[in-house]
Parts: sequence; C-alpha cells; structure tokens
Amino acid sequence: MKRFGENIEEAHVVIKEWVGLFTQNLYVWAHYKVSDKAMAEDLVQETFLAAYQSFGSFRSESGPKTWLFSILNHKIADHLRKKIKEPFIGEGKAGLETYFNGTEEWNADASPREWGVEEQELLDNTDFRITMQQCMERLPDKWGAAIQLKYLEEKDGQAICQDLEITPSNFWQILHRAKLQLRKCLEIHWFKN
Amino acid sequence: MKKLIHVIVLSCKKATFLIEKRIYSRLSLIEKIQLRLHMSLCDACVKYKKQSWLLHKMLKHFDHDHQAGNMPSESSVEELKKKISNKLDEM
Repeated sequence: MKRFGENIEEAHVVIKEWVGLFTQNLYVWAHYKVSDKAMAEDLVQETFLAAYQSFGSFRSESGPKTWLFSILNHKIADHLRKKIKEPFIGEGKAGLETYFNGTEEWNADASPREWGVEEQELLDNTDFRITMQQCMERLPDKWGAAIQLKYLEEKDGQAICQDLEITPSNFWQILHRAKLQLRKCLEIHWFKN
Repeated sequence: MKKLIHVIVLSCKKATFLIEKRIYSRLSLIEKIQLRLHMSLCDACVKYKKQSWLLHKMLKHFDHDHQAGNMPSESSVEELKKKISNKLDEM
C-alpha cells in the first residue's frame, strides 16, 4: 500500500493535478446540490484545501475522485443543515392552503391528474431531468435543502434529524411541503405542455 | 361531520403527509391502516402516491455521475481552477 503525504511538496503537486482533473465534476455536483454558484465554488475550493491539509490520510486505493467527493459531500451536508435550520422565508402563498381546502381535501385545481407517461420514459428523459432540476432550484431554500440533504446522505431519516436537532415529524413536514410544491412545479412546466 | 370522518379515514392533507413519511421512514400500524382505508376511497391521493414515488426515484437517480444540464462554461471552470491553484500556492 502506497502511503501518501510523506512530504508537502508531493501533496502540493498531486492536489494541483487533481484541481485540473476534478474541478468541473465537483463543481457541477455542488451547484446542483446547493443551487448557488458562488457557494458551489467556495465548497469546491474548500474541498481541495481540506484535501491538501489531510493529504496524509488519503489512501490511493480509494481513488482520488471518490475521496474528493466524500470531502465535498460532508461540506455540502454542513451547508444544507444550516439552510434547513434557517427560519422559513417563503414567497407568497406557499402554505398548504394552496393545495387543500378547509376540510383538508384537495382543491379542485391542485388535485393530482394522471400524468399519462410511462415511468421509465421519464426516468430516461434528459429534458425532464433538467426541468426537475429547475423546479428544485425554485423551491424555497429551506425546502430545497431538506430534499437535497435527504438524497445526499445514505443515513435514514432518524439519523438525519438527530444531526439537524429537529424532530422527525418536523422534518417530514418540511419534506411534505417541498414535495407538494415540486410536484406542482413539474405539473405546470412539464405536464401541461 | 367531515372532520369526524377524517379521524377514521384521514384527510387528503394527512394522507399525503403519510405517503411522504412512508417514503423516508416507517409508518405505525394505525397509520398504515388509516392510509390504506383512505387510498381505497380517494382517487386523487392514489395518483399523488404514484407520482410522489416517481419523484423519489428521480431524485435518488441524481448522483454525481449522472448530471445533466447546468453545465458551467469552460471559461468559468478554468477561472475556478486558477483561483484554487493560487490558494494552494499561498498555503
């Protein structure tokens, strides 16, 4: 097993090479997860600086890309947790009354309709994926962050809530609202055309 | 009266909440029974469930090797590389 990090010179040269190779990959991913260009750039930069500082713990068999992504994902998760804890700043009517009436049944215009497409067709459709990403970006920060965190970490919901120091039912509520809005956005921008 | 019925068969708001909860966690036995009962009566929530699971699959499918759209311009990536390289030189 080759052990890196014997000298600082080597770390410097290797990390710089990785900057050339992996910056784009890392950036595209970070941008998707945090929906913020400047923040994504900062996170990628921090990732490389952290990699440089802990170069001694890198083991060559895991592959630099995997290692860098695991550092980046930790940083993304920290960022998302902060976002989720921020007070909610919604635009206009983002409440449940958009979807449900006074007796908590679907409003006529919000009631789900048949999408009329095969599931696999959508999963493979690049344009649909792009529309979905755009809808994710339109979600209020706190909600988007909740979804992104849920799908970033392999952890189950309970563990995520422990890290967030919120109750599971609070977290499900955020996800519930986020998913309702995401669904509505797709219905407007994809299925109605 | 409706509120009373909802205690037993759930409102659509509560049912969709449980549909979401079920994707990420477990339901209690009572929640399972309530949801099943609601689904047997409510067509809209059946559609919601199907669509919600589809979104779940889509979101799970987005990993860092499957990125589409939002590609940065080549020049902005080069600029970022340069910025990071300079930072490394300063360390």
